[in-house]
Amino acid sequence: MVNSNKSNNLKEKLMQYVFYTSALVSVLAVVSICLFLLMRGIPAIAEIGFKNFIFGQKWAPVDTPPSFGILSMIVGSLYVTAGAIVIGVPIGIMCAVFLAEFCPAHLYKFVKPSVNLLAGIPSIIYGFFGMQIVVPFVRESFGGNGYSILSASVILGIMILPTIISISESSIRAVPETYKEGSLGIGATKEETVFKVVLPAASSGILTSIILGIGRAVGETMAVVMVAGGSVMPLDKIALLKPIRTLTANIVTEMSYSSGLHTESLIATGVVLFVFIIILNATLSLIKSSNN
Amino acid sequence: MKIVKKLIVVLSLALMVTLVFTGCAKEKTSASQPTENANASDFNSDKDITVIARDSASGTRGAFHELMKIKVKEGDKEIDKLVVGALEFDGTDKVITAVEGDKYAIGYISLGSVSDRIKAASVDSVEATIENVKNKSYKVARPFLLVTKGVENELVKNFLSFADSKQGQEIVESKHYISAVDSPVDYVVSSLSGNIKVAGSTSVTPVMETLQEAYQELNPGVTFEMQSQGSSQGIKAAIDGTYDIGMSSRELKDDEKSKLNEHVLAIDGIAVILNNQNPTSDLSSENITKIFTGEATKWSEVTK
Repeated sequence: MVNSNKSNNLKEKLMQYVFYTSALVSVLAVVSICLFLLMRGIPAIAEIGFKNFIFGQKWAPVDTPPSFGILSMIVGSLYVTAGAIVIGVPIGIMCAVFLAEFCPAHLYKFVKPSVNLLAGIPSIIYGFFGMQIVVPFVRESFGGNGYSILSASVILGIMILPTIISISESSIRAVPETYKEGSLGIGATKEETVFKVVLPAASSGILTSIILGIGRAVGETMAVVMVAGGSVMPLDKIALLKPIRTLTANIVTEMSYSSGLHTESLIATGVVLFVFIIILNATLSLIKSSNN
Repeated sequence: MKIVKKLIVVLSLALMVTLVFTGCAKEKTSASQPTENANASDFNSDKDITVIARDSASGTRGAFHELMKIKVKEGDKEIDKLVVGALEFDGTDKVITAVEGDKYAIGYISLGSVSDRIKAASVDSVEATIENVKNKSYKVARPFLLVTKGVENELVKNFLSFADSKQGQEIVESKHYISAVDSPVDYVVSSLSGNIKVAGSTSVTPVMETLQEAYQELNPGVTFEMQSQGSSQGIKAAIDGTYDIGMSSRELKDDEKSKLNEHVLAIDGIAVILNNQNPTSDLSSENITKIFTGEATKWSEVTK
């Protein structure tokens, strides 16, 4: 009896360490990525000059003398993300409402897995779909050459759907039955109940889903590279139907053959992207804490 | 509330229907594209040219922009005048896909990657073929040279013979360059050891590095020292003897020629590619420069 207790204790201790190390690994990963970005990015920003880097509009890394301004790409990232939100959020939330409140069981069995499948499609497939279908569609219906903020927004809007739908759906489902019963009890219709009682009650969860969607859209690379065109546009020439380069696209397009300060400037682009993500995550925890 | 709801329903329905229908319409047009090759009448030459370039770190872009005078020297400055709004892709495959999908597109890729998905334009009425590059009539090409000074030592000679060999030229071709050796022979392994110092062109560096790796596998006793700071630097280093081999991605000037042994490692040929439906198949180099710098924006401006 004593023996088994001892071995139980040992197991307990051992497993504790296993979990502890697992937790440590993920923290270590974040810390080492941070260190890598900062140690190689900050000197580059210093060498280029913070103002020239963040507010410069000219990106000409192989000219002599070179220019490393990423303002156009910062704005580009903001535009395509905003476009994705405009397209993805209304569809996503309405789909979530449908799934949680109105969907007949036999349809649910089909729609829910389709949404999940959408999340599992690799981004290169989205990019290829965009290049072959969305880009020609935009070109023929709206003009321009098709590689544009609009095409990127459409693709990203589709890509953030699963995030928005699944989180919104579960937060709608988490709204207590009593809310609905109360609303229905005082004579509201089902629709009124859903849109005036349930949705407001689920708003923090829906907001969370939107912010996670923004995170996905800001960070998406491969699909955007394939449909956005990759041009570094001066700010006054940026338009919905004109091509654009985002921060992520800048890194991935030029990383392969770059050297010296050019490479470092791409890592510095990563630092800026990282700051974006930190801001998003901070907003997220702010929402969560204000909710608690 | 009811009206709003109805509106939402109608709008989302409309959105879905348009999506579905355009999807169908799209398939039809893309399916009929290849068969419409002969029918140039729906090519509207007053439409804007879609200019497609590579990303600025690409060696193909560096070469093409220099050869076509898109990148120009002004005093000690060097400025790439690529038109604002040109699409930039990070790979040959993406450039091909983009040109294939857009009737009004123009792009450039290395000659070795041309396929029937797109067509290579003649430049100044010279067809873009490997033969024309080799006989120097096709101008959008440049040699990759390895230069040495005086009598080469055994080790350098052996490495150069490897570069010329079947194995070496296979590496050259795997990088989509044109082999410069007509009938390469098999490389014979030596038992040499020592250090080879190489300096020069950043464009030649990637293929050189691969060659060195393959050479070291066969000759484990040999080490390399690499510097890539541009062709001129490499030529200078070879002339003053600080490096054994200089790499150059341009032809030697006459005074340099007299001082060095020239060794053509490969030829980098670049094809100007157009959509198969484009009735144009010949462009002057002057017009290519105009298109890529934005001086000409419509096909009607560069074709008669």
